[in-house]
Amino acid sequence: MDKVVIVGSGIAGLSCAIRCAGAGMHVVLVSPFPSERSQSVMAAGGINAVTSDHESGDSVSSHIEDTLKGGCYLAGRMAVSGLCSHAEDIIRYLEGIGTVFSVDEKGRPMRRAFGGQSFKRTYYCGSGTGKIIVSALVMEARRLEAAGLITRMLWQHFHSALIHEGVCRGVLLFDDRTGNLHPIYADAVVMATGGQNALFGKTTGSTQCDGYAAGMLFMQGAQLKNLEFIQYHPTTIETPQKRMLISEAVRGEGGRLFYQEDGKRVYFMEDKYGEKGNLMTRDVISREMESTGRDIFLDVSFLDKATIDNRLGEVRDLCMKYAHLDICRDPIPVAPSVHFFMGGLAVHLNHETNLRNLFAVGECASMYHGANRLGGNSLLAAIYSGNVAADEISGRASDENTHDFTLEIEKKKEALARMFDSQSRFPSLYIRNMLSDTMRKNLGIVREESSLRHGIEELEYYISIADQIRYDSSVNPYDNYSLTGILALARATLECALERKESRGSHYRSDYPETDSTQSFASLVSYDGGKYTVCPDKECFYES
Amino acid sequence: MKVRILRQNSPEDQPHWETFDYNGPEDASVAAVLDYINYNDDIETDEGKKTSRIIWDCSCLQGICGACAIVINGRPALACETFIRDLKEDVLVLRPLRKFPVIRDLMVDRSSIQENLKKSGMFIGEYSGSDEREHDHQYSVSKCLKCGLCLEVCPNYINGKTFFGAAFANDCYVVASRNSAKSDEIRKTYAEHFGSGCSKSLSCMDVCPMKIQTIASIAKMNRMKSRNRKSE
Repeated sequence: MDKVVIVGSGIAGLSCAIRCAGAGMHVVLVSPFPSERSQSVMAAGGINAVTSDHESGDSVSSHIEDTLKGGCYLAGRMAVSGLCSHAEDIIRYLEGIGTVFSVDEKGRPMRRAFGGQSFKRTYYCGSGTGKIIVSALVMEARRLEAAGLITRMLWQHFHSALIHEGVCRGVLLFDDRTGNLHPIYADAVVMATGGQNALFGKTTGSTQCDGYAAGMLFMQGAQLKNLEFIQYHPTTIETPQKRMLISEAVRGEGGRLFYQEDGKRVYFMEDKYGEKGNLMTRDVISREMESTGRDIFLDVSFLDKATIDNRLGEVRDLCMKYAHLDICRDPIPVAPSVHFFMGGLAVHLNHETNLRNLFAVGECASMYHGANRLGGNSLLAAIYSGNVAADEISGRASDENTHDFTLEIEKKKEALARMFDSQSRFPSLYIRNMLSDTMRKNLGIVREESSLRHGIEELEYYISIADQIRYDSSVNPYDNYSLTGILALARATLECALERKESRGSHYRSDYPETDSTQSFASLVSYDGGKYTVCPDKECFYES
Repeated sequence: MKVRILRQNSPEDQPHWETFDYNGPEDASVAAVLDYINYNDDIETDEGKKTSRIIWDCSCLQGICGACAIVINGRPALACETFIRDLKEDVLVLRPLRKFPVIRDLMVDRSSIQENLKKSGMFIGEYSGSDEREHDHQYSVSKCLKCGLCLEVCPNYINGKTFFGAAFANDCYVVASRNSAKSDEIRKTYAEHFGSGCSKSLSCMDVCPMKIQTIASIAKMNRMKSRNRKSE
C-alpha cells in the first residue's frame, strides 16, 4: 500500500507511523494535539519484556503464561505469544532510538517487579516511562517527517470513517481551526485513539480519550469486543481536580497496602496472599479493597529517601503538589478508580477490524489483555500492535477500486452546519455527566443484573433525547457531535456486562460470583440500526 | 473572586476582556475555576451579560502534558497545577500565551515549536551510547512538555523565526549527548538558533513545570563545543 492515515499520535499511533514510513509508505498522522498531550505520557510504571539477561528462571513462556493467567485466559494464546516474543526487540528498539531508561551502574536498563508477574521484567524510566518513550518516538517520527514520509496534521478530530461495502477508504475529519469537515482518502486507516474514559467522566487518564471513535465506528459496522472488562486501578488518590493514579511502581518498589483497626495496621493483602500480596493483579486487589469497606492506605515511608527520589520521584511530586502529602513520611490514602479498558474494537491478529483496510491499535483495540491487564503490558502492546498493523499494511497491495463519497460528505456537512446554527445554551456536557453518573453507579467493581438493566434503561433515555436537543454551539463542535457515538458505546458496554453471567477478571457479578468455564469466550457486540447484539466468540473468529 | 479573561472569538478577531464571578471551592486550581465557570446553563459576565463558554486546552489535568499553559496573573504557568489559594492577588487574570497565534480564547497554536525542531533536524537517529554521568540530566530534559511556557517568559524569544528558545536548547543537548556522530551538526544549529541569542536571563527555568535546568544544558553544550575544538 502507498498511503495510510493514522488517527491518534500517542505511542501506538507513533509506532505505527514510524514503522509504515520506515517501509516507504506515506503516512498522514492526524490528531487534535501534538503527541506530548496524549494519554501515553501518563503511563508511569514501565514496560514488560523478557530479555537475554533475564532473571534466573524467567522466560518468554513465563511472560506469556502470566499474561494469559492475569487476563483469566480470555486473550488468545497466539496473540499473546506474538506480543511477549517480540518484547525484547521492542526494548532494544527503544534503546536504539535513544530512550532514556533507568540504568544500573553499568548502563544497562533496570527492571522492577510488577503485579501478577512471576519475575522482575518491567523495564522503566523512573516513574515517567510513558513520557520518556513518547519523547524518544517523537524524535524518531520527526526524522521521518523531515524526510517527507510522515505528514502530521494537528487540530484534527475524527468524525467518521469513509466506508463503502465493508471497505474503509479514508476518514472524515473535523478541523478545529477552520471549523470544516474534510475527507482524507487512503489505502488504509489505523485508529489509535486510546481508551473510553469519557464513559466515566474524569478518570485517571486523559480528558481527550473519550471512546467516540470506537462508538462511531461501531455504529458504522465495526464489531466491538470484551467491553465489560474495565480495569479499576487499585491505587488512585482523590484530589480536588480528579482521581490521580499512584503508579504500580510504588508497590513494585515494596509499597504495602493496609487499613487501620483498633489502632493497628492490618496488611490485608499480605495476610491473605502472602508476601507477594501487594503485587497481586489489579482486579484482585481492587475487589479486596472494596470488600474491606474501610479506608485503605499505601505506605512507602519505610523506603530510604534515595529510592523514593530516584525511582518514584514523579509520584512523590504528584502527592505533594495535589494532596500536600509527603510520601517519605505519610501513607497515601488510596481507592480503586477506572483506569484502563481491556475491551474495544475487535481486531484480527493483524490488527484489522471486520471492515477491510480499517485497523485499530493500542488501547482502542481489544486483543492482548483478556479480562484484566497486567501492569507494564499496555506500553508493550501499544508499540507491538502499531508494528503489527504497519507490517500488514505495508505488505499489502493497494485496492484499485474507488468510490465517490461526495453525497455522503455533503449530508454530514449539512448536519454539522445545523449544529452550528443552534442558539441554545444547553451544554452537551450535561448529558456526558449524566452518562458518567449512570456508568459509575451501575458498572462499578461489583455488578448485578438489576443495576445493569437500570443502566441500560437510562442509556436508552439519553440516546432517545440526544439527537432531539439543540446544544450550545459556542463550544468545540466535536463536544456536541461526539455525543451519539459515546452513548452508543456506553450502551454496548452495559449490554456486554449484562450478557456475561459469570465473574471473570475485572468483571465481577454478585449474582454470578463464580467463573464459568463454559463462558471462556470473548464477547462480541454488533450494532444494526439501534439494535445491539451480543454474542460469544466461540469460533475464535478474531484469533486468526 | 473576580476572574478576568482575555477573550478572542477567532484568530482574526480582536481580543477583549470579560470578567466573571467565581464562588466555587477555595482549593480549586485555575483549571477547576474554568470548568466551574463553564458548567452552567448560561454563561454570564459579572455584569449579567450573556456570553459564550470559555475555550481552553486540557488533557492530563495533572501537570504532565502541558496542554493548559496560559498566563496567570502575569506569570506563565499550567492552569491545572496553579491553585487560587496560592495567588497573592484578589483577582484572577487569565490570558493566552502571547508568543503564539490565538485560535480561540485561551487556546493557542504552538506548532512553531515542533516546526523549528523539525527544520533543524532535531532527532537522535541512532543512539551511540552515553556517559553515565549524563543520565540524570538526559532523563530530566526528556520530560520537556513542549508547553511553551519557557518561550512565553523569555525576553529573547519573539516569534520563533530565528531564536528558538530553551525547549530547543534542551533538545539540542539530548540529541548531541546521545548521538556523538551528530554533535557537530547540532552544535552548529544550537549556536545559530540559541547560543547567539540567549542573554542568560534564565527566566525559562523559573517557569518550567518539569523544573528542567536549562542552564545545565547550556553549560554541557558549551563544554561539548570546547571538547570538540580541542580534538580538532
